[in-house]
Amino acid sequence: MSKKFSLFSVTRLLFDQDAVFNTLADIQLTPISVFLKIALWLGLLPPIFAYFGALEFGWRLGAIEPLYLSSDILLGVSVSYFFALLIGFISTAIVSQWMAGTYGARASLGVHFAFISVVGAPIALASVIHLYPNVFINILVFVLAILWSMFLLYRGLPIVLHTSPERGMLMASSLIGYFLVALVSLLGITVVIWSYGFGPSLGV
Amino acid sequence: MVDPAKILSVEIYSDRIVTTLVMFSIFWAIVGMLAGVYVAAELVWPALNFDNPWISFGRLRTFHTNVVVFGFAVSALMGTAYYSVQRTCHVRLFAPNLAWFTCWAWQIAILLGGLSLLAGFNTSKEYAELEWPFDIAITIVWVCFGIVFFGTIAKRRIREIYISNWFYGALIIVIAMLHIVNNLALPVTLTKSYSLYAGAQDAIVQWWYGHNAVGFLLTGGFLGMMYYFLPKQAERPIWSYRLSIVAFWAFAYSYIWAGPHHLHFNAIPEWVQNLGVVMSLILLAPSWASMVNGIMTVSTAWEKLRTDPALKFIVLALAFYGLATFEGPMMAIKSVNVISHFTDWTIGHVHSGALGWNALITFGTFYFLVPRLVGAKLYSVRLANIHFWMALMGTILYVVAMWGAGVSQGVLWLSLDEIGELRYSFTDIMAAMNPYYLLRFVAGLIFLLGALLMGFNFSMTIIGRRTIAVRPPLVTEALA
Repeated sequence: MSKKFSLFSVTRLLFDQDAVFNTLADIQLTPISVFLKIALWLGLLPPIFAYFGALEFGWRLGAIEPLYLSSDILLGVSVSYFFALLIGFISTAIVSQWMAGTYGARASLGVHFAFISVVGAPIALASVIHLYPNVFINILVFVLAILWSMFLLYRGLPIVLHTSPERGMLMASSLIGYFLVALVSLLGITVVIWSYGFGPSLGV
Repeated sequence: MVDPAKILSVEIYSDRIVTTLVMFSIFWAIVGMLAGVYVAAELVWPALNFDNPWISFGRLRTFHTNVVVFGFAVSALMGTAYYSVQRTCHVRLFAPNLAWFTCWAWQIAILLGGLSLLAGFNTSKEYAELEWPFDIAITIVWVCFGIVFFGTIAKRRIREIYISNWFYGALIIVIAMLHIVNNLALPVTLTKSYSLYAGAQDAIVQWWYGHNAVGFLLTGGFLGMMYYFLPKQAERPIWSYRLSIVAFWAFAYSYIWAGPHHLHFNAIPEWVQNLGVVMSLILLAPSWASMVNGIMTVSTAWEKLRTDPALKFIVLALAFYGLATFEGPMMAIKSVNVISHFTDWTIGHVHSGALGWNALITFGTFYFLVPRLVGAKLYSVRLANIHFWMALMGTILYVVAMWGAGVSQGVLWLSLDEIGELRYSFTDIMAAMNPYYLLRFVAGLIFLLGALLMGFNFSMTIIGRRTIAVRPPLVTEALA
């Protein structure tokens, strides 16, 4: 088995996630290389899909007619989306490294960057559904993607970060707490931006 | 049944009351959640009310909230308070017969109160819907609860009053204050009364009550549960006792001001709304202090996870507690609230707290408590593990479905067209929510089935057994 970690490794998650985890368990990585080779590309997917989906089909919030936004506003929304994901990704990796001290896990930041990339990959790949921005269908797909990501988190954490399954379980649960807070923050920030007049035209 | 203490003529803990309250709590959990699932189904298939007013949405929803909060949660809090106050004071309950009275009188009040709501008697104050005869009954039982609890503390053999008792004590005092002030009313008939307050004042008093019922009952009371049962399960002292004390006083001081955030953009003074926002944001600090304390306590007790299914529930409960106590202050910010208010996002927020925090920490505590109360092993650890995953899935699915519905409602209700008119009609938006409501129904059903598994597991654990007699240990002079 080759001990290389690349964007191609992410696709192997589909059929053999343990091989990916074992690879990560044995190699040293730098945060910059992981970011440039993997995380950046995964992080670009959701905003790109969201831009083209909304431009073509409009936001389908369930009402009779979809909500179309101009391409300028959509570009702004997508760029903001990208930066929110970027901040979310980097902060999660840093929080994960910080938690590693408490749970006796590996503290190499590069490995945490790689592990969070792997765990987040299903969510990033599922964003292909943004091409058809019907919110309900997006939610259904994302719930499945989140469950898959959670499975990868619980399964992979002890292997990749060299800790016992029990301590891994505790650390994974703490990371889920952080993830939920990050997710609801994204929702909150989005809504604040809307209420200040950037995004859909709202009577507020 | 004859009290074992009298036969043995030695002091033993009053634990049969605890077992009874735990069983009632589980009973009400199942009844209340079943009602919740049914009202969720009515939102998808309105014909399910069969044109019968007793099970119409308005009545059954109120029944659901009252039964889960006052039946399930309060019975759990009463039971765990009685269990832990004895063990932290090393003394039998003060006035055990009065404690038995609180146990049974509370159940009768919930049963009759629940039926009165289904019959249509309702004050129209949220979480305080019960009419005045029930309010008086609740006050009497609650004062008796306080006498038993503080009486036990007064005759304690340990000098220090452990932190869990501060939280349980605050629960008893503050809920008494809120309940009495908010329910002051002029009775007209046996089943109808009018609040002493009018208009905006009524709204302010109501949400001072409503928010602090969430604060001191669903947050403070359950933190009391966490501070006793988490260190017991982890077999570690709390990570930072000093932090727990600071968190308690900061929590008690800041929570009481946060109610007006329920009344944003309403006819109450602007400064009262803004005060509510500021105090809600400050509240995050003490809320998270207790979360950090819990997580750090359990972080060194990882080897317990191999054998103990209960600890998992508590760890996950802390994660959802972190979410709910962050989301609440965030939703109190006016520029978020302008979109989230009146939408299903609020319902999702309540359930991330109610299912993710209150229910999970109670389940975790019961998985610890029930086998110990009857001196037996849990009937099935495997069933408990299945319950854990069902509870997690149900909660996540519920919360995500309501986020989707809530944000969609917020945007659609406020969307303007090119000439500044509302773009979408309310009925169209209502109809568009159907798929989310179906998803929420499925989520609730999964959560309910998990609770049923727990009920079965406990029934098999308890059946044919009695509560075992436990004597208070001797107290060394240094602690007395």
